[in-house]
Amino acid sequence: MIRLENVTKVYDGGVVALKDVSIDVTKGEFVFLVGPSGSGKSTLIRLMMREERPTNGEIWIAGKHASKMPNWKVAHLRRSIGTVFQDFKLLPSKTVFENVSYALEVTGRPRHIVRTQVPQVLKLVGLSAKSDRYPRQLSGGEQQRVSVARAFVNRPLILLADEPTGNLDPGTSVGIMKILDRINRTGTTVVMATHDHAIVDAMRRRVIQVERGRIVRDQSRGAYEQRAGAETPARKPADQPAVSEPEPSRAERELAQAEAELAELPIDESFASEEEDFESEAGGGQAAV
Amino acid sequence: MSRLQYVFGEALRNMGRNALVVLGAVLAVFVSLFLVFGTLMFGEIANNNAAQWSDDVRVEAFLSDDLRNVSGLQEQISGWSDVEEVTFVSKPEAVENARVLFADNEAILDLIEEDPSFIPASLRIRPTDLQDYDGIATRLEAQPGVLRVISAGDAVNQLISLRDGLQVFSWALAVALGAAAIALIANTIHMAVYARREEIEIMKLVGASNWYVRVPFLFEGMLEGLIGALVAVSVGIASYRLGFDQIQGLVPLIDLTVSPEFLLQRSIVIVLFGVAVGAVGSAISLTVHRYIRT
Repeated sequence: MIRLENVTKVYDGGVVALKDVSIDVTKGEFVFLVGPSGSGKSTLIRLMMREERPTNGEIWIAGKHASKMPNWKVAHLRRSIGTVFQDFKLLPSKTVFENVSYALEVTGRPRHIVRTQVPQVLKLVGLSAKSDRYPRQLSGGEQQRVSVARAFVNRPLILLADEPTGNLDPGTSVGIMKILDRINRTGTTVVMATHDHAIVDAMRRRVIQVERGRIVRDQSRGAYEQRAGAETPARKPADQPAVSEPEPSRAERELAQAEAELAELPIDESFASEEEDFESEAGGGQAAV
Repeated sequence: MSRLQYVFGEALRNMGRNALVVLGAVLAVFVSLFLVFGTLMFGEIANNNAAQWSDDVRVEAFLSDDLRNVSGLQEQISGWSDVEEVTFVSKPEAVENARVLFADNEAILDLIEEDPSFIPASLRIRPTDLQDYDGIATRLEAQPGVLRVISAGDAVNQLISLRDGLQVFSWALAVALGAAAIALIANTIHMAVYARREEIEIMKLVGASNWYVRVPFLFEGMLEGLIGALVAVSVGIASYRLGFDQIQGLVPLIDLTVSPEFLLQRSIVIVLFGVAVGAVGSAISLTVHRYIRT
C-alpha cells in the first residue's frame, strides 16, 4: 500500500531530513512513526501524501508511483488518502456537516452521496448531534473528530495522521485513537506520527522509530521505547487506564452502534469502481517494481 | 449547474471582500479601454473623412478619356520641383477603388455597376511639402486632358496630421494602462488567494483538482475585466451620442458619423479584450502564487 525505497530527502538549504529510508506498509496495517522532534516523521508523512518529492529514491502510494507522478495527477491520488493534522485544519466559517461534506463536494461527488455518507461518518465519530455546530463551539477533541470524519468520508485506502493527538489531553486522545482503530478495522491502512508514549504502548501496533533521518527500529507490536524484553513493563496499566476502561457516555454508545452499522454498510458504487481502478493500477505498479 | 453557482458565488464573495482593490482594478481596465475606444473612434472618423488622401497624396487630377499620352503627362508633372511622386490610377483600378469607397452606399454602387465607364482614370500626386500644394492644383487645371482637379481641404489636412500624431500617443498610453490593469487585476487575485489560503490548502488535501481550485479565481479576474470593459464601452458610446451635435457644430467640415456596425463590432472587440486582460492578470497571479502552485 505504501512503499518507500531508499528514500533520501534534502530540503532547500541542505537540511537532510531523511537518509536512505525504506519502508513497506501493507494493506490494512496500523503503523506508528515515533521519534523526537525533527527526526523526520513529518517529512515521511509529507512524502506519503505526495506533498513533497524525495530527493532520491522511489515512492509508491496506493499502487501509484508517487515519486514520478506529475503534479496535476496528485489531486486524484489524494482522494485515496485521508489526512489528519495536529491543528485540525477546519474551516471556521463552515459547520461540522459542511466541513465534512466539503471533502466530497470539492471532488465533485453527487449530492445523494453527500447526503448519505456525511451522516454515516459523523455517527462513526460520535458527532451526529453536533453536525450544525461551528468549530469554535466544539472542544479540541471534538474538532479533531470532525477532522477525522473529513479524512475518512471519502473512504480512503490510506489514512495519514501527523500527531493527531498532539494538542489533546490524554483522555480525549484515547477517544481519537478508538476512532482511528475502528477506521483501521474497516481495512484502511493507517500511518500515524506521534510523540504519545501512552498511546503507542497501549495499542501495540507496528512501530517505526526514526532518528536523525534514519530508521533505527521497525518492530511489529512494539512499544514507544525499545526495551530488551517483548513484555510490557509493569507501569503500563497505571499509564493508560482509559483505553481499557471505556466510559459509557452517549457518544461512546453511539459510536459502538455506528461501528456495527458500518460493518454492514453497502459500499457505494463510485467508491467500489475506484477501488477496482486502484487494484488494476496497483498490479501494474507491482509489476514495474 | 451547482458548479456554476459555486464559481460565480465564490468570485462575487471574493470581490466583495476586497471591494476597494477590485474597484481600482476595474477603473484601470475602464480608463485603458475607454482610451482604446476613443482612439478607434477618432481613427475611424479621420479615415472616413480622408480615405482619399492616404499615403500623403494631396492632389488628384481626373483625366479625360480622350487623353492619349498619359505617360507623357505623368512624366511632365513628375518633373515639377514641388512634386514628389505621381501615381497613375487606371480606369479599372478607379472602378475597384470606388466600389470599396462606396461600399455602404447602394445608390452609388448601383450607378457604378450600371456603367463603370463614367469613372475616370486619374493621377494622384504627392507634393514635396505636404502643406503646400495649391500651386500644383492650379497648374494641373491648365493642362489639356485634365477634367477636374481636387485637393485635400485644410480640415482634412489637419485631421490627418492630428490622427497620425495622436494615434501613436494614445496607443502607447493604452498599452501602458493595459499593463497597469493587468497588474492590478493580478493583485486582486493575489489578495483573494491569500484570504482563502486555508481553504485552498484543505481543498488540495482532500483531492480537489487544480482546475477546481483555480477556476473561481480565473473567473473573478475575467469578471473584473468584463465589468471594466462594459463600463468603458457604455461611457464611450454614451459620450459619443450625447456630445455628437455639439462637437459636430464645432467642426462642420469633418463628418463625425460612424456606422452602427463599426460601433457594435469594436464594442465587442473591446469587451473581449477586457475579459482577456482579466484572464491574463489572474493567470499571472495564479502561476506565481505559492498557495495555488502544487
